[in-house]
Amino acid sequence: MAEAKCTCSNPLVPGLVEVVNIIDETPDVKTFYVRKPEGGVPFNVRPGQLAMVSVLPTGEGMFSVSWQEENDHLEFAIRRVGLMTDELHTVEIGQKLGVRGPYGNGFPVEECKGQDMLFIAGGIGLAPLRSFIKYCFKHREDYGKITILYGCRSYADLCFKDEIFETWPQMKDTEVYITIDREEAGWEGHVGFVPAYLEEINPSPKGRVAVICGPPIMIKLGLKSLEKMGYTDQQVISTLEMRMKCGIGKCGRCNVGSEFICLDGPVFTLEQLKKLPPEW
Amino acid sequence: MKDIANKIKAIAQDLLEKGEVSLFMGWEQGEFEFQTRPFFARTSQDAEKLIFNEYSIHNLANALLKFRDGQEKIGLVVKGCDSRGIVRLLEDLQFKRERLYIVGVCCPGLKDPLEAARAHSGFNPQAAPAPLAAKCRSCLQPNPVIYDQLLGEEQAPRSEGERYAQVHEIEKMSADERYRFFEEMLSPCVRCYGCRQACVACNCRTCIFDETKPQWVGRETSASDNFMYHLVKALHMAGRCVECGECERVCPVNIPLMLINQKLIKDVNQFYGPYEAGLNYVEGAKPPLSVYKENDPDDFH
Amino acid sequence: MKILSKQKLTAAFDQLAEKAELLVPMQKGATSAFLPWPEFEPGRDELRLEALNVDKPPKDAVLPQTERMYKFSASGPEVAVQEVYEISSPRIVFGIRPCDFRGIECLDQVFLTRGYADGFYQSRRDNTVFIAQACYQPGPNCFCNAMGVDPVKPQADVTIHDLGDGYAWEPLTPKGEETTEMISDLLQEKKADLPEVKPFTRQVAYAGLAEKLKDLFEHPIWEKLSDPCQNCGICTYSCPTCYCFDIQVKSFGEAGYRFRCWDSCMYREYTLMAGGHNPREASRERFRNRFLHKLQFFQERYGQPLCIGCGRCLIVCPAGISIVNIMQELKEVE
Repeated sequence: MAEAKCTCSNPLVPGLVEVVNIIDETPDVKTFYVRKPEGGVPFNVRPGQLAMVSVLPTGEGMFSVSWQEENDHLEFAIRRVGLMTDELHTVEIGQKLGVRGPYGNGFPVEECKGQDMLFIAGGIGLAPLRSFIKYCFKHREDYGKITILYGCRSYADLCFKDEIFETWPQMKDTEVYITIDREEAGWEGHVGFVPAYLEEINPSPKGRVAVICGPPIMIKLGLKSLEKMGYTDQQVISTLEMRMKCGIGKCGRCNVGSEFICLDGPVFTLEQLKKLPPEW
Repeated sequence: MKDIANKIKAIAQDLLEKGEVSLFMGWEQGEFEFQTRPFFARTSQDAEKLIFNEYSIHNLANALLKFRDGQEKIGLVVKGCDSRGIVRLLEDLQFKRERLYIVGVCCPGLKDPLEAARAHSGFNPQAAPAPLAAKCRSCLQPNPVIYDQLLGEEQAPRSEGERYAQVHEIEKMSADERYRFFEEMLSPCVRCYGCRQACVACNCRTCIFDETKPQWVGRETSASDNFMYHLVKALHMAGRCVECGECERVCPVNIPLMLINQKLIKDVNQFYGPYEAGLNYVEGAKPPLSVYKENDPDDFH
Repeated sequence: MKILSKQKLTAAFDQLAEKAELLVPMQKGATSAFLPWPEFEPGRDELRLEALNVDKPPKDAVLPQTERMYKFSASGPEVAVQEVYEISSPRIVFGIRPCDFRGIECLDQVFLTRGYADGFYQSRRDNTVFIAQACYQPGPNCFCNAMGVDPVKPQADVTIHDLGDGYAWEPLTPKGEETTEMISDLLQEKKADLPEVKPFTRQVAYAGLAEKLKDLFEHPIWEKLSDPCQNCGICTYSCPTCYCFDIQVKSFGEAGYRFRCWDSCMYREYTLMAGGHNPREASRERFRNRFLHKLQFFQERYGQPLCIGCGRCLIVCPAGISIVNIMQELKEVE
């Protein structure tokens, strides 16, 4: 077996990591913990940044890093939707994968300090927000009240169940609201779509930043709800998703207007988003 | 032709005014004399721009695919080859006959605006466009085979020597010679898929070449991937190609694509024929390779 | 000034081809392109230095249609990247026109700036010398001047000017000087007058359009303009500035390589996400995106339009769509 070369001077060539843990979040979502074969993280990541993960013989995919645990490992929560993720979901602990990054602009964690935080997530959209949520918990005193609203199609689809049901609700000055789309035997919690639930809970915009992520239709409806509730464009942040190949703003396909989601995004304030064509 | 053009304009305006069609497909004049281009009139005023001249070569049946999921009625002008394209769409269940108002024009053979544009551009100093477009020099069926109204005088088929002359030439070559011939012919291919988009028979919603699970043909412009693309596409055309010649006409690197299609037309005629695709529309009819019969020949070589 | 007599042209080509891969404009079969000088077959092929331009622009000298990126091995859990294919062999593109050269400059903006330098592009670009031929007689479809190109002053490594019986040879960069050295024995020092610049027959008004387009995103005119478009991709593949690419993989059992190849925003699959969502599902949306990229987005991002006025798309589009016509219609719209 030839020596692994990690020529990260060429931004399109991946370095190698090893899968050290796999958590089955839902029937189609797994969280992969990866670190360099010799130990340590392949690179440092800010909350909201992305990385290209590759199953080398199959393909590459861009995923948000759902958390960086110090210098120990990176976490990727990945849903099985296509050719490459199908293959990824069959790997076992010990498998080597390609990874390159970090990409994207990340969340404005500094600018949000001192504010109350409202996190709104749908489906796998909680994965990118999780890095921001955990960052807030790590630096708890820097942020005000934390409200998390998370909705999925069904109970089985809810990701990070330990965190959303146990760890997070117990954090200081933190409220977690969970909803699923339809009635289900054994579910005593809220039933209904995220935007409607959001308007029901109606957290005040005063001194608060809203961060929203989920399927495009949910983001669009959520943004309308937030506007109705009195949030200004500067108070609302979203993180977008587009098909990506190069990850470094060269191949052209992830553009929204003149901005590339992989390079200038994926995080945009609503103010920035309104200046771009509504094509995402 | 001016006469036909005027009639088309009048028909279109009438249909649009009465609301019998929402859209009428024809041609409009571009900047230079040879720049006749497809144009979709949506109002009677739009229809003022409709023309028909010796450069009206585009196969408008292909444009119908853009509207296949709609309900609106569409009028369009077709010549012999294009009308076979409509039969192709009807047989492939891609369009409903009731939605169409077909104005057929008996075609005397036309000129190629792309060839004229290339000659005019200054890129190729010696180029002079031929009097007839390559695809029109041999034409089996210049008269529309399906129409609601027919314009122009009936035309005789045209031929430029024996129909499969070049195919026979290549069949005489050894396997090695054939490989080299096609390798050279297909090497300029940039895999733009212009031939696929221009083809009325290429109407799959997800084309085999865009599938990922599995990926059937790679996207490299290597000899093997180029070969696979063209051969697989041609085989998907076998028994379905209506010989409209648009694929070859639009190719930006001038690959003689009809050569491969003609071989398959000849073979289908030989093994399952006599059969010419799209020559007449019978509801429920299917191309020969869409039907399995136990005694189908299977000794190809 | 230095003059290369046309009688010494083939000798110059032979000498340059000894030191680098020399690409010259030639007609081979039914198409003209920049091809390696050793592939030129006298009697069969023709040089196209005196023609206006060639069908296939030379952007593939720095951005090939297909380019291998790296080789890997993959055996069960063990994976390794084995070789990265950064091509650094020298190349000379002889006779590129100023419009196509501006196209290369646009590609430089994309691939070499904004946070990352693309290693594969950089390697090829650093080792390619461009000898541009100034254009004194615009063709009927030319409008490079409207898109900010000076047809007689390309800032290439060397600029040559056709004087009739020879070329005035003007090195402009250190790479150009090095290349001049390779044929110094064939150049003569002579006084000569540069040709007269003939006027453009086509007047195109691009000025102000990028700004206006900001408000035209939802305008119904896009439906009408995109009607005849077949989404065939021929425009993107003939265009000197289109650069969008796909990254794919070929694997054979326990080894394989990743490669990139040209892609087109005209295809539905371009923005189709694995989950099924597609922000540009309709043909009209893809059409609009392409022209806004050319005329507005690139201008906003890099300060110059992504159309350099070569006129190729006017010639090759099967549906007769012309970017000039589109610019006119957009300028006139309310």
